[in-house]
Amino acid sequence: MKPRERVEMALNFEKPDRCPMQVSFTPEFADRLRADISIQGERVHNPHGGGNTYELERALNEDMLLTSVGWANSYYLDDKPYVDEWGVGWKVQPYETPFGTGHYTEIDYHPLADESAISSYQAPDPHRPELYQDSRWMIETFKEQYWIVGVTVTTIFETAWALRGYEQTMIDMVLDPVLADELFEIPYRYHLAAAKKLVDMGVDMIQTGDDMGSQNAMIISPKLWRRFFKPRMANFISELKSINPELKIAYHSDGDVEPIIPELIEIGLDVLNPVQPASMDPAEIKKKYGHQLCFWGTIDEQHTLPFGTPADVVEEVHDRLKTVGYNGGLILAPTHHVQLDTPLENFWAMVNTIINTPLDQI
Amino acid sequence: MDEKLEPIYQAVLDGDMPAAQESVQTAINSEFPAAEILNSALIPAMGEVGRLFEDGEYFVPEMLIAARAMKAGLEIIKPLLIDSGVEPIGTFAVGTVSGDLHDIGKNLVAMMMEGAGFEIVDLGTDVGSEDFVAAAQNGANVIGLSALLTTTMSNMGGVIDAIEKAGLRDQVKIIVGGAPITDGYAAQIGADGYAPDASQAVTLAKLLIE
Repeated sequence: MKPRERVEMALNFEKPDRCPMQVSFTPEFADRLRADISIQGERVHNPHGGGNTYELERALNEDMLLTSVGWANSYYLDDKPYVDEWGVGWKVQPYETPFGTGHYTEIDYHPLADESAISSYQAPDPHRPELYQDSRWMIETFKEQYWIVGVTVTTIFETAWALRGYEQTMIDMVLDPVLADELFEIPYRYHLAAAKKLVDMGVDMIQTGDDMGSQNAMIISPKLWRRFFKPRMANFISELKSINPELKIAYHSDGDVEPIIPELIEIGLDVLNPVQPASMDPAEIKKKYGHQLCFWGTIDEQHTLPFGTPADVVEEVHDRLKTVGYNGGLILAPTHHVQLDTPLENFWAMVNTIINTPLDQI
Repeated sequence: MDEKLEPIYQAVLDGDMPAAQESVQTAINSEFPAAEILNSALIPAMGEVGRLFEDGEYFVPEMLIAARAMKAGLEIIKPLLIDSGVEPIGTFAVGTVSGDLHDIGKNLVAMMMEGAGFEIVDLGTDVGSEDFVAAAQNGANVIGLSALLTTTMSNMGGVIDAIEKAGLRDQVKIIVGGAPITDGYAAQIGADGYAPDASQAVTLAKLLIE
């Protein structure tokens, strides 16, 4: 079965031969993986941005390939401090793991911290042809075999808080909603234009979204979500599906977002990602919403993958297949890029269990 | 509640900073004791904010504006509290551990602790063990360690070891928090407790210094 057929069946609530799989990695984990399977990478692996040759993804037998356009591509742009094209300043933060030193890029300057800068701000142009070169190449090269996902995450909220600052964005929503609207329109318009272009170019699915959940609760109330984000997401989904009615839409949010799941379904969502198991029980979510919604993710990246044993990982994959993926409707994936602190034994336990477990045996 | 304190309490709950400043000033002008403004209006208001947060009625934005209103009121009475010899209930030193720059959770905890009557020493982010040790030396009763990432949470244990090595472990309580942290992890590294959110961190810290 072709990888793209496998995904297509799962997203249509049919049972493919095995559960589809998608995995992304931080650049340093990708280096370790390349060494482990003796693949010579030509370029630095960036889980967000351009330059990915998809060698690792294909070697692992992944089923979906992702191509990203938007502010999220500003992550991992350099190994020294930089300012991205939105004017957001970044620094490079090293961290130590048992498997070596890794680096995260972290935001340290917000160009719209001063309110007066918002009205005159010029966002980058989403219509530049060069933004879509990598996507065009990967669609032409891989669409015949793989399910292609156009990624425009950090669609509204996360880009806005990078531009304005997290606390100030929160405060704007409650104290100055008009200003908050003006702020949110900036990334929203950009990512909508990018997503439309990607749909025109032939992606099978768009991944949109913003982190609306913290570990135990939503960051903002469902009421504020309805005020600022639901109408924009509803329009985003409807504009994209009017270009291609067959298009699937996946929404990404870390953490607990259960309170808004029914309304995400109402506005046309097809797939929820990543269903972080420490925040929402995937089996419960499947029971409540699995007849209308598919899931992408569910493999714990906060405990099991970095700190569990290979047997724990196998058990978790089996559990997900039994409780969520048994009748389709699931693409298994870690709930974040696999981090440098993950033992390779755990990583392979996950990959091998997914690709070697026929759904008929579940 | 006294009719002079009621508007202060309400302004904090509503996150209305100008109203908080104005009502605190009005209370001071009518010679209301600063300690009472703190203990009978500002602190109970932030306690209620914490309760509403735990109950899922308040979220991060509401907590932020309430804390901001509380802080503005507190700034006005601070000199008076010092003059009248009012002591904080304890000193809380807090920081995000080495390698980790995430400060949203840490800042919320600091705000709620301040609203409960603690003096706050905010050590910032990417804080090395030596700075936590210095905070303990300088008299912090409670130290809070924050981490968002699985790749940095392991540095929490190192901080606790360093405080132990400096011979200060008995005089300070250490609490931990952050997305990947659990009760079990806190126990494993020898912390005195874990709280899943900013409001419960306050309850925990008060319990530990009782």
